[in-house]
Amino acid sequence: MKPGIPTWLLLLPAVAYLVLVFGAPLGNTFWMSITEPSLGLQNFETILTDPLYARVYLRTVLVAASVTLLCLGFGYPLAHYMARRGGLAAALLLGICGLCFWISYLVRTYAWTVILGNRGPVTAVARWLGIEPPPVLLFTTTASLIAMTHILLPYMVLTLYVVLARIDPNLIRAAHSLGASRWQSFTAVVLPLSLPAVVSGCLLVFIFCVGFYVTPTLLGSPRDMMISSLIANEIEALLDFGSASALAMMLLAAILVLLTIYDRLVGIDRIMR
Amino acid sequence: MARGPEAPSLANAVLAWCVAGFILAPLIIIVPMSFSAASSFEFPPLRYWLGHYRTYFSSADWLQPTLNSFLVGIASSALTLLVATPAAFAVNRREFAGRRALQILLLTPMLVPSIIMAISYYSVFGSLGLNQTYTGIILAHSCVSIPVVLIAMSASLRNLDRNLERAAAICGATPTQSFRLVTLPLLRPAFILAGFFAFIHSFDEATISLFISGREVSTLPKRMFASIHLEADPVVAVVSALMIFIAVFAMAIATLLRQRRQPARA
Repeated sequence: MKPGIPTWLLLLPAVAYLVLVFGAPLGNTFWMSITEPSLGLQNFETILTDPLYARVYLRTVLVAASVTLLCLGFGYPLAHYMARRGGLAAALLLGICGLCFWISYLVRTYAWTVILGNRGPVTAVARWLGIEPPPVLLFTTTASLIAMTHILLPYMVLTLYVVLARIDPNLIRAAHSLGASRWQSFTAVVLPLSLPAVVSGCLLVFIFCVGFYVTPTLLGSPRDMMISSLIANEIEALLDFGSASALAMMLLAAILVLLTIYDRLVGIDRIMR
Repeated sequence: MARGPEAPSLANAVLAWCVAGFILAPLIIIVPMSFSAASSFEFPPLRYWLGHYRTYFSSADWLQPTLNSFLVGIASSALTLLVATPAAFAVNRREFAGRRALQILLLTPMLVPSIIMAISYYSVFGSLGLNQTYTGIILAHSCVSIPVVLIAMSASLRNLDRNLERAAAICGATPTQSFRLVTLPLLRPAFILAGFFAFIHSFDEATISLFISGREVSTLPKRMFASIHLEADPVVAVVSALMIFIAVFAMAIATLLRQRRQPARA
């Protein structure tokens, strides 16, 4: 950009837009959390003491942690293979992961309603194997777990791949020449070098998963709500803006804590790189 | 291709392709679903026909949300490009106090869960009369796609060879001329790509739209959400299949754009 334009002027549109269209609505939600229906912290008191809410938080954390571990368990082998194999196979696999970013998560959620539905392939296979009655999967926490893992997996794979691909193959060769087995060279060389990416990928998936709304709502059990569904429910069913706002602020606070950890360990600005 | 001890083991290969299958299979299943003759979600379909495609292309109930999504996507990505591009120049090419903090601030709309933004917009836009209006959705979508444009533009700005601008200056170009004749043309693919990402981001956004777009300006994801929720309308398979075709096509174009951008980097 030509040096004539001062930096603040370049930043003004984006910052002004963020303050008005991002900061102000969030600020309003915070305001409502302490003023609806009357000024005070009673909304927070309710959501922090009612065991019904505590169950939802616990479930949200458990589901998000499971999804994170599943993504890591599935994603690591794939990313490792892509990084070590290289060539056309890696390009193809990278393309498959990349494609997911172009396809709406609603489309992927829909696919799982078909696969796990009572007339889908899973039920058909269960019937064929003689499992009667076939397992009910749709509208259970298992269903939303599977679908969220599927949706968030590409994030994990790409985060891991970027770091794994940068590991110098000579280090692995050196380990082998010193007598390390395949497994030893993996655990002693590759795994420690990829740990930052593991932490970064896990935090990213966890953060996304905690706030997931659409997929758990469509696939999960209405009785086993996650926090985002609870927030929506407070507004849609109960028109209780006060406690919905308080819940949203709690969620926001949790996300901010996680982001701070992420920033300390990885650096949020690294997302831009 | 790697050979020798650093090459992946066979077990790793098998596992990796299985995971890739897990990623890909659900997307592939949708295509035959869209040609199914059944009136609800059933796989594998018993008979095939184009009936659901005809329903989709002749029902205002689906075409209007599709049109809305396109309108909102185009308008919001244009708005985001206008707002975020100068900032992308500033954070990538200028040194200033608080640059890192600002970068983080500009990325936060991507990291705050949509449900929080959804209820925030719902109540603020409610009192401003912006709920169920195009303006409301466009404003909200532009906001959440600022990080997307920023990330895309930053990648291109970093890859841009500044020697080309220096060469222009040596040849006697004023800063304005070099910006207009060198920088902007070199960044054209970047603008297209960033706008494209912003469009896709808006086109896919469901949570905020669910809350703030009413019946009149309902977006496609909102319409799809409703129809998956009721588990009755097989047209959703058609929309999904079309979206997958478009995604494959879009990815091909994006890859081509990236390849065309390579020479500028050299």
